[in-house]
Amino acid sequence: MLEAHQLGKAYRLGETEVVALAGVDLTFPRGSITTVVGRSGCGKTTLLRLLAGLEQPTSGALRRQGGPVRTGVVFQEARLMPWLDTLGNVSFGLRRRFPASVAEERSRVALETVGLSAFADAMPSQLSGGMAQRVAIARALVTEPDLLLLDEPFAALDAFTRRAMQNELIAIWQKKRPTIVFVTHDVEEAVLLGQHVLELERGRVVGHEPVDLPFPRDPTATAVNDHRRRILANLTAPAREPETAVLPAPDKEPSR
Amino acid sequence: MPRLSTLAVFLAALAAWHVASTSGWVTPFLLPSPQAVFETLVELAGSGVLAKHTLVSLRRVASGYLLAIAFAVPVALLFSLSGALRRMIEPLLEFLRQIPPLAMMPLLILWLGIGEAQKIGIIVLSCFFPIFLGVRGGITAVDRKLIDVGTVYGFSRTEIMLRIVLPSALPSIVVGLRIGLGYSWRALVGAELIASSAGLGYMIVDAENLARTDIVLAGILVIGVLGLISDHLLRYLISRKASWLSGDLEMARA
Repeated sequence: MLEAHQLGKAYRLGETEVVALAGVDLTFPRGSITTVVGRSGCGKTTLLRLLAGLEQPTSGALRRQGGPVRTGVVFQEARLMPWLDTLGNVSFGLRRRFPASVAEERSRVALETVGLSAFADAMPSQLSGGMAQRVAIARALVTEPDLLLLDEPFAALDAFTRRAMQNELIAIWQKKRPTIVFVTHDVEEAVLLGQHVLELERGRVVGHEPVDLPFPRDPTATAVNDHRRRILANLTAPAREPETAVLPAPDKEPSR
Repeated sequence: MPRLSTLAVFLAALAAWHVASTSGWVTPFLLPSPQAVFETLVELAGSGVLAKHTLVSLRRVASGYLLAIAFAVPVALLFSLSGALRRMIEPLLEFLRQIPPLAMMPLLILWLGIGEAQKIGIIVLSCFFPIFLGVRGGITAVDRKLIDVGTVYGFSRTEIMLRIVLPSALPSIVVGLRIGLGYSWRALVGAELIASSAGLGYMIVDAENLARTDIVLAGILVIGVLGLISDHLLRYLISRKASWLSGDLEMARA
């Protein structure tokens, strides 16, 4: 179980302080799949980066029950190392903990899980967007994470590939049962994948929608649509607070 | 293999040279014919003079170039690791960078004499900055998103440096190495033209004093060919060892 207590993050932009995440209380039960939905700049990427340990909170804390957590992260872009082939990318984080032969063996298994066994020797430049993202998923899975964090991983893919990848993710989750936190701006995707949908707006959780439907879910089903409509109504409701600045995504800062 | 069109351009240049020197437009003293230069080349090669001067020059380039790498890479790494050090020393380096190495010749002769040290010193000065800037630039431009991947895996700073930053800086490093190699040839010949008793640059000046234009031209041709060969060798090495870099190489023609 992963719990956030009053978890908050504020950035300084010149003179002004901008609150990206305003002290949220969240619980992610072990083995559950939670989706976080909201528009650009609502703080969802910040939340994910805090959960991943890529940023330190400026207030509150994260609590993990049951010892240290192995975390896997899939970003919006595949972020593959261009100098490594597919297999090298998947085993990238394993090399430090396992002998090369074990790392390779486990990486081949992970590649099989995402259906890319035939592309073990391909370089990232030779892969399509969907394939590269599958490699990134294999790279996250190969460490057998108990916490899998995904930041709009399918946003850049075409609708058909996205659908297939969503189903693959659910299949992987059903098999390995990691705790999944999946961030998206697509309400339909949030309903299709989440047991819980957290609605985020201006750094605050403004709604929590439990979705108790069997997987795989049919995007055209009435029940899915009902959830969708409720979330959309909640997120497009009139502003609850005066306008605040919309933040650039924290991992998209210009490089030094 | 060079393409046919490439060969044709070389042949055309050769033909123009031939016509210019044999038609009487230019006196053979100022521009000897290609045949005359070729015969001189064969003669120089046969007598061992060419090999002697070439070896001296090659040794100087090799030691100067390697020495420059040995200085430039660690300094660039240190600067990348310590912002304080960089802010302190980089302005001074920027100042030094503006000075053409050949302008340092008189000083180097006074400090190091007219022996090997001075010639190698000039080469180090000329190719230090391209290599240094290549390494610095590559490290500065590293994609922070790739570093995130290492952070998620719990990499240490050293691991991030060795496994993410340096490999992704490699294209820029290679560009610096390649430009540096070109600079080192230019500096060498410059150094040998002034106080020297051996080397291809010396061979050219000596021939000029004896009014042997054919030897001057032969020396120039050899320098051009050696530069081409070393550049191709470097490119070959890179395409074998780091094939994903091939596309980045073309930036390095300076």
